[in-house]
Amino acid sequence: MSYVGIIITFVFIENFILTKFLGLCPFIGVSKNTESAVGMGFAVTFVMSLASLTTWAIQKLILVPLGLEFLQTITFILVIATLVQLVEMIIQKISAPLYKALGIYLPLITTNCAVLGIALIAVRSNYNAFESFVAGFSAGLGFLLAILLMSTIREKLENEWVPKPFRGVPIAFITGGLMALAFMAFDKALLRNLIG
Amino acid sequence: MGNFTKGIFKENPIFVILLGLCPTLAVSTQVINAIGMGAGVIFVLLGSNIFVSLLKNFIPDKVRIPSYIVIIASFVTIVDLVMQAYTPSLSKNLGVFVQLIVVNCIILGRAEAFASKSNVKDAVFDALGMGVGFTLGLALIALIREVLGAGTITLFAVGGFDGVIRLPGLSESPVRIIALAPGALLVIGYLKGLFNWMEMRKAKGAAV
Amino acid sequence: MNEVVSVGGKLALICAIAAVALGLVNAVTAPAIANVKEEQLASALDTVRGTAEAGEEQLVEDDPIVKGYYPLNSGGSEAGYILKLTGVGYAGDMELLASIDFDGEIRSVKLMDNAETPGLGKEAEKSEYMEKFVGTGAQTPVPLNKQQLSQKHADSVSGASITFMGLAQALEAGSDYVKEQLGK
Repeated sequence: MSYVGIIITFVFIENFILTKFLGLCPFIGVSKNTESAVGMGFAVTFVMSLASLTTWAIQKLILVPLGLEFLQTITFILVIATLVQLVEMIIQKISAPLYKALGIYLPLITTNCAVLGIALIAVRSNYNAFESFVAGFSAGLGFLLAILLMSTIREKLENEWVPKPFRGVPIAFITGGLMALAFMAFDKALLRNLIG
Repeated sequence: MGNFTKGIFKENPIFVILLGLCPTLAVSTQVINAIGMGAGVIFVLLGSNIFVSLLKNFIPDKVRIPSYIVIIASFVTIVDLVMQAYTPSLSKNLGVFVQLIVVNCIILGRAEAFASKSNVKDAVFDALGMGVGFTLGLALIALIREVLGAGTITLFAVGGFDGVIRLPGLSESPVRIIALAPGALLVIGYLKGLFNWMEMRKAKGAAV
Repeated sequence: MNEVVSVGGKLALICAIAAVALGLVNAVTAPAIANVKEEQLASALDTVRGTAEAGEEQLVEDDPIVKGYYPLNSGGSEAGYILKLTGVGYAGDMELLASIDFDGEIRSVKLMDNAETPGLGKEAEKSEYMEKFVGTGAQTPVPLNKQQLSQKHADSVSGASITFMGLAQALEAGSDYVKEQLGK
């Protein structure tokens, strides 16, 4: 697929949160406040881009030639865990306030389905190295877009009346559902029309 | 015994603790997929809880998370390979979500919060309770989504019966949106709201 | 230093044991997995070949859609080909087997591997769905969009036009391949 096609696919048409539900935990958990949502979005994008490139290399250069495809799940998740540790150390050095704001959610990027998800999807779609990187980057952008939109809506919701049983998590899910409904407007037919 | 029932109601992983959401919504399109995913999660939970509990004095604290991850990933790989070999259509339906069990927060969560501090027997009951609670929650969402969204209930294929129960009326004109992505989020949102409401009424009833 | 070695060593030990255990499970399940794939292919070939016998698979390199073909033999004489095609569906690639005559006419199609939506695109796995393509490719062109279909067939495509277009494009490419590369 063309690079533009990959970007449009993972940011809009197959937005990880709103169509595949990958990355839901932070989506619901970190979206109360726009600043941490954006910080989280950038951290996740960074990890996803590096992760999909690294896992591509491991699959192509180690697992397949040695017939060790069955070790894919273990090696991929360990690579991701290592990358997250690295990112944690980098953020701690570069921006202590951001590090504090993200708190527990930073190490939790390891268990964010979206990161392992894009690594697996890139491999299953037979992307080459650069395509994998672009896919990881776009999926991260899609995550950022969704979590940013969600946080702006939730901040407004704080000032509105919500029926008691729905306050907090349920209304967040319903909001997500409505956003997913809106995102359905981006479908493959649109991609075909845009790119041919 | 308490360890078992707490996983089903009080600390139900899906509706109370809100863990393991990703696979929940993606595979909740058909009841059979929910049951299959639930079975896989129960197996991995059992394996990981047992081994984490057995090895709790061997695993150094500094590398406990990577160690848990290796253990969990191993059991996930076993489930993946076994499904591909012996239940290929389920494997195909679940797709990447089988491998994604490894990042299902429930499993790492139980390993860290419970199994690493308990004996094997307690760990087993905890795993069973959480696993069954997860499966029931997932199956409930799938039941609603499949009935309303496709008008069918898909169970096991036995003999000549292909496993699909078609509901009259609904299977001709289902509420398609519920079977698609937004439907999942809406269903879980309303269900959670419903459970919250039930909790509130119970609390009010107790206070009265 | 000692602590790092002991901690690292224990982690490495856990990893090593895990890798060995998985290697064993893999050795046990790999033949079963390969079997499953073979059976699926054989059963799909059976659906598509009609009364003819399929010969050895010939692989095709460098073609995005046509991945391979099986020459068909009916009672001693050549009877067209079965092509292995890859179409682009709504949710990823779709694998098809299509029996195509020398003049490019499509005789039979079976959709195999796909991730299409149940109730919508997945309906293409049924043989009635493929009727819209049977008989096209030679005198009549392969229908490429909904407008070219009869009312009955157009209904079955509703809500799953991406699946339909992916299948149509793959079948057209297959039909052209037979006419241009394999035909008499």
